[in-house]
Amino acid sequence: MTASPTDTDSTGAPSGGITVLLVEDDAPTRGRLRDALASEPGFTIREAGTVAEARAALDQTAPDVLLTDLQLPDGHGVDLIRETRARFPRAEVMVISILGDEESVIAAISVGATGYLLKDAFPTDIAATVRDLVAGHSPISASIARFIVRRAQREPDAAARPQLNTARLTPREIDILWGIAKGFSYADIAAHLGLSRQTVPGHIKSIYRKLEVNTRGEAVFEAVQQGLIKL
Amino acid sequence: MSAGAQPAGAGATPLSARWSRRRFALLHLSLQAVVVGLCLLVTSFPLPAPDSRYAVREATVAGPDGPTPVRLPATFPGSTPRRINLALSFTAPDKLTEEWSVLTPRFTNAAQVLVNGVAVLDTRRKASNNRPDRNAADMAVIPTQLLRPGVNELSVRLYVWGPLSGFLDTLYVGPDSVLRDAWDWRILLFSTLPVVFSSWQVILALVLGIMWFKRRQETAYGVLAAAMALGALHTFLIPPEQPSWLAGIRAAAIGSAPLESGLVLLFCMLFLGRRLTPLFAALTLGPGVVIALAGLIGGPEMVRQAFIWPGLPAIALCLGGVAWLTHGAALSRRDLVSVLLASAATVLVTCLIRDVLTIAGALPHQRIFVTRMAYAAVMTVIGACLTWRFASALNEVDSFAGRLVTQVREAEDKLRASFAREEQRKHAAALASERARLTRDLHDGLGGQLVSIVALAERSGAHGAQIGEAARSALRDLRLVIDAMDDIDGDLMLALGAWRERTAARLRPHDIRLDWRPLSPAGLPVHQELRPWHVIQLLRLLDEAVTNTVKHANARCITVSFGSFTNDDGAARGRIIIADDGHGFSGRATPQGRGLDNMRRRAGRCGVSLSLDSGPDGVRITLDLPARFPETEIPA
Repeated sequence: MTASPTDTDSTGAPSGGITVLLVEDDAPTRGRLRDALASEPGFTIREAGTVAEARAALDQTAPDVLLTDLQLPDGHGVDLIRETRARFPRAEVMVISILGDEESVIAAISVGATGYLLKDAFPTDIAATVRDLVAGHSPISASIARFIVRRAQREPDAAARPQLNTARLTPREIDILWGIAKGFSYADIAAHLGLSRQTVPGHIKSIYRKLEVNTRGEAVFEAVQQGLIKL
Repeated sequence: MSAGAQPAGAGATPLSARWSRRRFALLHLSLQAVVVGLCLLVTSFPLPAPDSRYAVREATVAGPDGPTPVRLPATFPGSTPRRINLALSFTAPDKLTEEWSVLTPRFTNAAQVLVNGVAVLDTRRKASNNRPDRNAADMAVIPTQLLRPGVNELSVRLYVWGPLSGFLDTLYVGPDSVLRDAWDWRILLFSTLPVVFSSWQVILALVLGIMWFKRRQETAYGVLAAAMALGALHTFLIPPEQPSWLAGIRAAAIGSAPLESGLVLLFCMLFLGRRLTPLFAALTLGPGVVIALAGLIGGPEMVRQAFIWPGLPAIALCLGGVAWLTHGAALSRRDLVSVLLASAATVLVTCLIRDVLTIAGALPHQRIFVTRMAYAAVMTVIGACLTWRFASALNEVDSFAGRLVTQVREAEDKLRASFAREEQRKHAAALASERARLTRDLHDGLGGQLVSIVALAERSGAHGAQIGEAARSALRDLRLVIDAMDDIDGDLMLALGAWRERTAARLRPHDIRLDWRPLSPAGLPVHQELRPWHVIQLLRLLDEAVTNTVKHANARCITVSFGSFTNDDGAARGRIIIADDGHGFSGRATPQGRGLDNMRRRAGRCGVSLSLDSGPDGVRITLDLPARFPETEIPA
């Protein structure tokens, strides 16, 4: 299952719009995601099926968005995310998750991802999510919000994996996470907390950034502990 | 608690905290001076005596050199044993209105009184009177026939058998009623009181002895019990008169003072935690033992000799040792117990010095010995204090045991609680790890394949749409199952939150909006008993309601409302309402359709009551949550 790095420019202008590096080893899925993005204007898509191909693609162009699966034939998406974050600090990283389960998403967040995308999401949702991310609106699911809040509110447990820097979260951010965990919309949360509706997504991105584990060693350790990286 | 190891233990009040060493020493010395002063004051208090009109003081003593005039009270030193004959006289009234008596307030060792040549009083008849250490008085009524109006002859035969010199106090002859008062007083002071003290000593000896017997490590208690027992024996034994095999033992018991003082010294050493060597103990008790042996072997006479030497020096040395020890302890420890002991030693030493001076004749005209009584009184007080202290220690042990029981119970409760918490935590951790494993497995296997199916189905155009929808629905169910397994701490809202997200994404392609409407600020009540299977049933029920709406209702919006309501019995109950704005069931599937049956069944299993309203403006399903979710499925 390999795919050569190829460019697909929905607008025909490689330099314009949002450059997305799509790393996914399953060809039908990759094709589906690519089609979903390509069907919308303003996206330049580069594809990769392996970590090696993704690195080659990164050497060529700086992406605006890295959209990556975690389980790849020749490596782990977590490493790719970390490399991208180190080399292109302005790039947004989004993890492609099958189930949107907190374990894989949190592992990605801890190395710098600021969003996730479900593999079976509807094509319109896929493009919208990526566009929102670039605009600074990180998506977050109720179960991930729940996971983070729970971790932040329980007494520090050394055995808990993955580790998250929940200590830096403000009470307001935790309130926002609670609202999301309980299924309230951004508008509801904003009204309840006396915020402007537009600022809530920004808060979420800030939450993601705070959760990032900053040292490489730590993150690898976490990922290995979690069994996310199979050595 | 050993008295030896912790002499200033429970009952002690540390005074050291309040006073400096120097200041305390000064205070202590002042206190001892006061104690000495009080002792002297009490002992110099004049004893009750009858009217001096009836005193008979002038006597003549018959001797080899002829009669010698003597004024009573008088001491008669000289060899023992011997008999001293005194001739006195008194004047009786012409007409007797009442009985007359003769009172001999103090004599050593025994006296026989004759009135006009007829013996009316012989103190030897009452053996305990003749003990030199007792301040015995005796009195007898003079038969009326013997009394002559005017001058009467009074002679006294004083028997002296040592070890002390003979002594005779002023005699009183007068109306019985005048003399009896003084006599009663003396009996009370010098006969009854010692018996009372001795009885106390017997009791305390018993109590302390039992304490020692049950707690052998409390040697101090045992020693004190022995001293008290000896003291009691001493009081109650009658001095020997006729030589017999018992005479020696009785004499030894009466001469037990050196042994007693030795025991008191040992008690002080043990009590104050001093090191006691066997040699020192032997030396301390030696003189007392020698006297006892003298009694056994040599009889009463030898006891008398042995009592003077080495008995008296031994007593003096032992009491000196006690004084030294206790005052040293008081000055170094500065606690209440040591000060009390030291004061007791001061009392004893003062009394002893006074008695020695009396024997030496430095205090003429009186022979009242006070040491024995003071000793008995002090020992009684010390014994009582020790018993008090023992009881306090027991109380402390009791309260300590009580505290311990409480603490143990608290610790047990805490342990149980923490054990339960730990169990719960372990359970939650096990569930979480199982969920993580399952998620990973599903993610890697089934999930990936379902996603591929979705992708492939989308590619095969309209024909694949149904397949894609089926695969998506399978993925949704997968997420639901995984979600339901999460530990949500009984907060159904958390499960609903994730469901809302999935459902909103699912409804978007159908152009159906999902409204989320809390009906009460608190949302749904928390159900600690909520288990994953309850969550799965409820979420599937909601899924089915949504499916019905999507398939049949032609609705634009689904509204999920939820909140808590207080029902009739005052308990907060949760309610979830899912309503659409479609055209209801009119003209299509009956409400008894299969989907609806399924929903009812699911609700029933969890104890949820489901009610359904269908009208032209939509279908409204109301789920009333139970006060408590059932532990096992309720059969349909």
